[in-house]
Amino acid sequence: MTIESFLFDAQWVFLIYFIGLNAGYLAQNVLAIAGIRRYLQTAEQLEAENVFSSLDLPVSIIVPAHNEAVSINSSVRALLQLQYPQYELVVVNDGSTDGTLEKLIDGFAMRPFPEAYRAQIPCKHVRGVYRSARHPNLRVIDKESGGSKADASNAGINAARFPLVCVVDADSVLMQDSLRRMVRPFLEDPSTIAAGGTVRIANGCTVRQGFIEKVGLPRNFLALLQVVEYLRAFLFGRLGWTSLNALLIISGAFGLFRKDVITEVGGFAADAIGEDMELIVRLHRHMKMQRRKYRIKFIPDPVSWTDAPETLRGLKSQRVRWQHGLGQALFKNRALMFYPRGGAVSWLAIPFYLVFELFGPIVEAAGYVVMIAAAVLGLMSPSTATLFLALSIVLGMLLSTSAIMLEELSFHMYPRLRDILLLYLVAILENFGYRQLNAIWRMQGLYRWLFGRSHKWEAIARTASLREQA
Amino acid sequence: MWAFLSAPGSDVTVRVAAWTTAWVSAVTIVLFAYSLALRAATVQEAKRRRAIIERWRGIFAAAMLSGSYARECALPRFSRAERSDLLEEWNLARDSVEGEAVGHLIVIGERLGVDAVARRMLRARRLSARLAAIQTLGHLRSRAEWAALISLLDDPNTALSVTAARALVEIDAHDSVPLVMPKVVTRDDWPATTVSRILDKAGPDLVTQPLCSAILISEAATSVRLLKFAELARTERIDQLVEILLRERREPRVLAAAMKALSSSAGLPHVERLAAHEVWYVRMQAAKLLGRFGQERDLALLEGLLRDAEWWVRYRAAQAIVALPFLGPNRLRQIRDRQTDRYAGDMMQQAIAEAGLA
Repeated sequence: MTIESFLFDAQWVFLIYFIGLNAGYLAQNVLAIAGIRRYLQTAEQLEAENVFSSLDLPVSIIVPAHNEAVSINSSVRALLQLQYPQYELVVVNDGSTDGTLEKLIDGFAMRPFPEAYRAQIPCKHVRGVYRSARHPNLRVIDKESGGSKADASNAGINAARFPLVCVVDADSVLMQDSLRRMVRPFLEDPSTIAAGGTVRIANGCTVRQGFIEKVGLPRNFLALLQVVEYLRAFLFGRLGWTSLNALLIISGAFGLFRKDVITEVGGFAADAIGEDMELIVRLHRHMKMQRRKYRIKFIPDPVSWTDAPETLRGLKSQRVRWQHGLGQALFKNRALMFYPRGGAVSWLAIPFYLVFELFGPIVEAAGYVVMIAAAVLGLMSPSTATLFLALSIVLGMLLSTSAIMLEELSFHMYPRLRDILLLYLVAILENFGYRQLNAIWRMQGLYRWLFGRSHKWEAIARTASLREQA
Repeated sequence: MWAFLSAPGSDVTVRVAAWTTAWVSAVTIVLFAYSLALRAATVQEAKRRRAIIERWRGIFAAAMLSGSYARECALPRFSRAERSDLLEEWNLARDSVEGEAVGHLIVIGERLGVDAVARRMLRARRLSARLAAIQTLGHLRSRAEWAALISLLDDPNTALSVTAARALVEIDAHDSVPLVMPKVVTRDDWPATTVSRILDKAGPDLVTQPLCSAILISEAATSVRLLKFAELARTERIDQLVEILLRERREPRVLAAAMKALSSSAGLPHVERLAAHEVWYVRMQAAKLLGRFGQERDLALLEGLLRDAEWWVRYRAAQAIVALPFLGPNRLRQIRDRQTDRYAGDMMQQAIAEAGLA
């Protein structure tokens, strides 16, 4: 085979891949537009009806914390102010060495509590349980470090008293009505076993007493790029998949689960890098294989705000970890792939994630290499290479534009026109360098998954704005 | 790019890529323009809404306070475009009041012709307009669209059908309950909170009989769902029903849900029997009830449940023991200390601490 014929054949592989990828995204987009219209049409009415009543489901909120002394008390204070009729807060101190437990004990008058702790889901040894003398619905589980958020979450789930458990990142900023919104799918459809909502970037927002007071865009360019990315991922990615009941991920920053089902599957996998995604894929596998009726839902409402990394190092670490987690989650649950009764999860979502999300960076990088090689060898004119590059860029822009349009159609959280124009500018700029950088990081994540390197609790540097006002 | 599109000698792939690039660029620009237009429309809409609120909210507030104002005040004209917002504002005002003020709002509503507006909007294409129209007809207690509202009960759209049910009950609870109750049984898509409000509005006199009959004859899942509304029916009738269910039904889910609905010690003998049921959540409910209605003789039963293999049964049994009114802190500690099973002792210790008696 000559280089010429190889490049000729490769061109077709890339073309088919390119068409498949973009057709997939555009289909998700169409489903998301239909889904969000349907959702918004009824949301207002049902929202008005859905005032608190004895029929609301009580919720146990689990907050895994590892070395969160700086912010844990303000996070807990905010969580204690959520608008929801009945909930408890279970903070899990996962072997912190920075005085997290002491901060909690001082801040909330925590007293040792003789809890008959039951370890339904295996987790590291629980050293003690504390209960607040001021807030009867607040407990702290003090345990040996399991080295992962998953292990801490499992310890919290074991201590949960209510039928729904909500796992929240200690550094997440919630809306006061987040729980009420998230519970809605469980009230409307009893076959719902898990629900997630839209996570937004908190950088640039004004946070007061643990809640978002004013929405704004970050000044940091990297964080700004992530705003558009998150809009794309949540507003059409997840919304599209949920309409097929094929949602494969609920963000670990804020997810609500039926406790009996999560316990039945053994909780979060302590060895998983992306424990949030792995759990959702495992839930699909478990329910499909048992032929049980279930729904895993996503609501487009912005329910949680998270601190995005503002340095290349932090961002790289996050993306490498995500890709590693993706590979692990898909591989661990490979039995679900093309499972005869698996429906859209087995026949669409898993293959799509495998081909386009997991191995996508390799094809993307190879595409750039082949195109450059072809241009250098004179097999492709520079203008043709530019054309293909332009096509790739405008398709990326179309997807981002459509996500921003969905935001305008639905929640318009960014009040100033300037913000929207800035987001469009970012949607153009992200194609020059950022996308390519992401592909490289994701390849590193893929490499880590294939050649097995483990991750532990990872601290993301908090932005000044959040830290000062929290 | 134009060169690729027009060049006759271009490769097919290149021409396709060029056309796709051109099309995608055009669509992107259109979406961008649409987003900006949406933003402009949203800003305009917000301004218009504010103006409507300013104009009508004051009038409705004054009408709530004074019947003569409602009958005689000068009413501003409103345009066709304002109809939907006007209805929404009137509904908001109507939702916020009870008693005499309701009559005043209905008077002003009639003067404004909201009845006719609602009837026209009932056939609109926009879901939000139809919902506002149904709500208004209910609030006006207008029978003008009675038949249309009944047919909406079978609409596949959850919001439309449940809002229609609510409006019907508001218009005439007596006539509508026989029509709405069968739908409450079959429409498991109706949110429980809304159904509960509908049944509450209808009142226990109308609801009790059809609800109890439906619970009695329905299959397990429906009985369990309907038992959640038991608190809206007459308690003595529900207690009788629960006794029948505990005696005759075998499905564990029904037994547990029935015990939850019990509000007196009427079914206690059955509860004592169910404390030994093979399914843990039935035993757990039995433990809870023994805590509410149990007597001295039930203490041994509860101590037995304290040694149950299931954590939740032990937990509820311990809480039940602590809740028994005839046991003081000293006796509770004695009960804890005499437990030979470690798990039972730990659970008693936890329940005592939870109650602040440690």
